[in-house]
Amino acid sequence: MQKILNTLDKISIILGGVAQFIVILLITSMIYEVVARYGFNQPTLWAFDISYMLNGTIFLLGAAYTLRNDAHVRIDFLSTKLSLRVQQWINGIFYMLILGPIFTTFGYVASQKAWKAFITSEVESVSPWAPLVWPFYGVIAIGLLSFAIQFFIEAIRYLLKQNVPGDHHGELEVIEEFK
Amino acid sequence: MSFIPIVIFPALFILVFLGIPVAFSLIIISVSFGYLILGDLIFLQLYGPILSTSSNFILAAIPLFIFMGTILERTGIALRLFQALQLWVGRWPGGVAIATILMCAVFAAASGVVGAVEIVVGLMAIPAMQKYKYDGSLIAGTICAGGSLGTIIPPSIVVVVYASMAQLSIGQLFAATMLPGLLMVVFFVGYILLRAYLKPQDAPPISKEDNDIPLKTKLLITVKALLPPLILIFAVLGSLLVGAASPTEAAAVGAVGALLLAAAFKELKWKTLKSALAVTVRITSMIMLIVVGGTMFTSVFALSGGGQMVRDFVVSAEFGEVGLILFLLAIVFIAGFVLDWISIVLIFIPIFIPIINAAGINQIWFTVMVMVVIQTSYLTPPMAPSIFYLRSIAPPNLTYKHMYRGVIPFVMIQLLVLIVVAFIPGVATYLPTLLVGL
Amino acid sequence: AQSAEITWRMPAAISEGSFFYKNFMERFAANVDIITSGKLKIQPFGAGVIVPAFKVFEAVQDGIVDAGHSTPSYLVNQDPTNAIFASFPGGMGGEATLHWVYNGGGEKMLQDFRREKMGLHSLVVGIGTSEILAHSNVEIRTTADFKGLKYRTSGAWAAVVKENYEGVPTVVPGGEIYTLLQRKGVDAIEWSTPGANLSEGFHEVAPYIILPGVHQPSFLWEVVIKAEKWDALPEQLRRQIEAAAKLTTYESYAHFGHADVYAMAEYKKTKVEIIELDKAVVEELRVAGREWARNKAKELSANGDDTMQKVMDSYFAYQTNWSENSGYLVTDNK
Ligand code: NA
Ligand code: NA
Repeated sequence: MQKILNTLDKISIILGGVAQFIVILLITSMIYEVVARYGFNQPTLWAFDISYMLNGTIFLLGAAYTLRNDAHVRIDFLSTKLSLRVQQWINGIFYMLILGPIFTTFGYVASQKAWKAFITSEVESVSPWAPLVWPFYGVIAIGLLSFAIQFFIEAIRYLLKQNVPGDHHGELEVIEEFK
Repeated sequence: MSFIPIVIFPALFILVFLGIPVAFSLIIISVSFGYLILGDLIFLQLYGPILSTSSNFILAAIPLFIFMGTILERTGIALRLFQALQLWVGRWPGGVAIATILMCAVFAAASGVVGAVEIVVGLMAIPAMQKYKYDGSLIAGTICAGGSLGTIIPPSIVVVVYASMAQLSIGQLFAATMLPGLLMVVFFVGYILLRAYLKPQDAPPISKEDNDIPLKTKLLITVKALLPPLILIFAVLGSLLVGAASPTEAAAVGAVGALLLAAAFKELKWKTLKSALAVTVRITSMIMLIVVGGTMFTSVFALSGGGQMVRDFVVSAEFGEVGLILFLLAIVFIAGFVLDWISIVLIFIPIFIPIINAAGINQIWFTVMVMVVIQTSYLTPPMAPSIFYLRSIAPPNLTYKHMYRGVIPFVMIQLLVLIVVAFIPGVATYLPTLLVGL
Repeated sequence: AQSAEITWRMPAAISEGSFFYKNFMERFAANVDIITSGKLKIQPFGAGVIVPAFKVFEAVQDGIVDAGHSTPSYLVNQDPTNAIFASFPGGMGGEATLHWVYNGGGEKMLQDFRREKMGLHSLVVGIGTSEILAHSNVEIRTTADFKGLKYRTSGAWAAVVKENYEGVPTVVPGGEIYTLLQRKGVDAIEWSTPGANLSEGFHEVAPYIILPGVHQPSFLWEVVIKAEKWDALPEQLRRQIEAAAKLTTYESYAHFGHADVYAMAEYKKTKVEIIELDKAVVEELRVAGREWARNKAKELSANGDDTMQKVMDSYFAYQTNWSENSGYLVTDNK
């Protein structure tokens, strides 16, 4: 069981790594546009579409990775009054029976849209560049499906008492304790 | 189905307070109530918000600003910036918090995306304020309130969306929100000064001995630690002001600037870069998924006839001019507790505008008051985006209690700005008159 | 009011409260209510509320909503045949378009095209007046002035400006146009009609307005319903909805012109300089635009789809006839 979970984890870790690399690409494409337009009077037709597609990619490929790190923000000051076991049950059940299936379905819808875009050679509707949209739609589908898988993984971990909800704190370290 | 717009809110709060992550709660509620209306089709329908949020160019400012903030934080540039600042303003009560508000104002002038402004400044300023033993609620309130300046200080997405719905000039609205935005900054600063003066333990000034550094050393530290990041911040703003970059692109200028700065200080280590990228992805995904959830929630609320219900309620009310304005603003204020700005603008504003026009009320003036009240929606719990964003970066000892207590005075100040605009409409309407005729 | 027998959820590709929304969407909903005596109720939604702006056609096809309100302009990238219906550089002005659509077979061709390619029934509900060619930071008087011009535009006109005149079409998202124009990040932008642009306030930040709007001499908005759904409606109701659509087109056309002339007078009160291009320059631009359309039609025909060619032939024949024989009209302009 543990082995399976850890192996499946790799999906979100790898996709999260890709998303991290794409942050660099996003910065590059936008700066390229600024320099090309302001410096050389030669704006690109593609930077606009590429930029939002890269941002969407960071978001969706990073969603499962973010879930794995329990970094989707929760309001837990009331729920932490419940016993840890109850909290684990609540999260396990919601993830397993509701969120996992919901995102599996969204992933299915997204795959259908991507497939349809592929076979009809659909292009972006109002962009002057008019790129084919299936690669981006495909990324959305991959992101949503990996998100769904991660929900099932986390659910099992909650039910196996391996996860503690709200375990992930903010990104900053404690510098000084308050009195 | 007419019960949906009513029960959808308590249902949402149950999930949120059960500790289900906020974005997931919004999505679960949207899918389940939406299912009652559209059946299986709800998944096709709610795929729309996923697609439109992922394709929103303006939201691309989010990872760019987060990356910039993280680089400056992880390399220590941010902390040294505040240390240098502390040398100059440290003898003043609340100096670092004031510097934080001013930094928020500058970033707000470069971006209209609230989450981006809040995270970049929060990453830089929270460690400094903690180091100088500022009170947790003051830290939280300052970051949340400072972050919310993104919409009142132009440029602002909220204003752009509103302008198109109300058929008002974007430029006139930008001009109209300028003075109230500055006023809000001034009031925030005034409050911090007052609080630090009355309760020095909340924002302790540094001791005389600590401040007793020869002027030469002081200047040297300043030149090395203060100037470079300030130049960076003004590069972001400058690229916007000279027309080199659009607001979203200015964020990319900031990201590259932060990298160059870190490289110049020889602090750009592989490990730092990796961790900055990881933080960027985590926070971006978190914010974007909340936007998705909010957009889904708005659409299901609208589908269930929520807009019509609000319309019937508003139209049935009969008031004089003053009563009408108060009533509409009260609706926005109360809605702000549970909805985010996009839902408020999409659902309520189209209903208000014809009523305001029919009553002959100055649209610019009314809009600015709405903008001020919309600011409060970022801060008012339970659905308080700026608190969610702060949570994503806050160290574990900065708790929800600090945050909820911390935002209250700032919400009151925002309402104070509202009163000023209400009684002195010129604060809103004067600057736009200068624009007419170029 | 008596209770409606049918309610249609109908999203628009434009935000609620905006100039176009009021003119087309709200007017159509009201006209349907009156003409069908409340038998059909339209429940309108602004862009982005239940369906993203550019996904309205798809949402109707998917069955998420009963009907949708959008423009063929948003489908031009997918199939340039839409450009002929949406209006294109060098196309007919609003008045001639109105005649072509209702009396020259235009609407029928649009309906056949939608039904065959997308399984939708289309009703024209709005035809517009000419747009403003540019709000500009620099003077534009000849085609040479387009050279190196950073110009926010898109679609066919972007292609024409780039390929024929070495212009530099620039992509700027809607919400950032004002800021970038103000700070001279772009030299010029085109957006909409004089009446619709007035509230955008571009004239407050850019010193020149360039006319006439040869790039978009008119435009067209439609309401689409799934073909099966339309066919299943009672004959009487269909006739009533058609009447409501047609009434909306005529009313909104008059409203557009009315708002445009008012807006032009307002622009003249400001310091903005209004530049009307010389007849010869205008003609050159129009010829280039029509060439773009001809080439697109040729490409499509080469791929075995001659719909665009057919629609274009009808369109150009109408345009030629109109330009040769409408000289009798008193147009009241100086
Ligand atoms: Na702003
Ligand atoms: Na709130």
